[in-house]
Amino acid sequence: MKDIMRVKSSISTDLETLLNQQIKKEALSSSIYLSMASWCDRNGYDNSADYFFKQAEEERMHQLKFYKYVLDMGGMAISPEVTNIKLEYNSFREVFEEALEQEISVTQSIKNIAARCHKEHDYVTLEFLNWFFKEQREEEYKARRAVELFDVIGEEGTGRWQIDKHVGQIVYSEG
Amino acid sequence: MYINKVQYMQKTAIASPIHFEEVFSTTKGSIYQSDSEYCWYVDFAGKLARFDYRNLLKLQKAVYGIDIENILLTSDKSADVEIIFICACDHCYVLSLIEIIALKELLQGAFVMLDLNHIIQDRLFRLAA
Repeated sequence: MKDIMRVKSSISTDLETLLNQQIKKEALSSSIYLSMASWCDRNGYDNSADYFFKQAEEERMHQLKFYKYVLDMGGMAISPEVTNIKLEYNSFREVFEEALEQEISVTQSIKNIAARCHKEHDYVTLEFLNWFFKEQREEEYKARRAVELFDVIGEEGTGRWQIDKHVGQIVYSEG
Repeated sequence: MYINKVQYMQKTAIASPIHFEEVFSTTKGSIYQSDSEYCWYVDFAGKLARFDYRNLLKLQKAVYGIDIENILLTSDKSADVEIIFICACDHCYVLSLIEIIALKELLQGAFVMLDLNHIIQDRLFRLAA
């Protein structure tokens, strides 16, 4: 009897489901960042708005990378529905704290997929995920550094103006 | 020309019997695989329905997604019937709760056997060099 399941798809249905969940998570991240960009722009934080516009683009790119991978492997990529995006934030700091939380949540979710890959001996998908782990290292670094600016510079006086000025200058360099 | 055509038709009629292999069966139904057509035939609820790879997965998702416990516990007067409709598939099932449980059992068994077949194919042909 032919192994039709394997012939038709290189990934298991469980992994396909997890990857589709990740597609949704990346789409959600992108929308959240777009909303953050809107809030920053509305409140006069131009550089931070640019920073979040860029982040939104990156998350969208991650989403498409997962999307194409699922399709390439013979799976069914599902275009996600994204709802309930927060419009208002209580403070400038809260925006960055939530951005960091979002990045952490994405990293944890990718780790969960990798754990499943190990269990199934799916080294092909694991190798694909490695790119994202490297990317998340940078994303988390940038988000954490941004939050730290609030403690380093302080919000008093022209503090928030200074923070906004420095957000765009955060660069991650390896080694 | 006419004779040739008839002969041709006869030949094709004889040359293409569908060959099934049983994947799994219970007292309520069976699932067969056709290697030549790359599909499965589900013999259940009085009909034999053909499912390709995507549609079999959609059937699995639809059946596994039914909350049997919830249907058992609800005491409203709605009919004890579920309609399983699969998008872009010719077949549709209208099943009672007992039949849903039987179909779920049949599918679960079939997917275990397909997994087992995958392991056997790996061990016998793909990994044994």
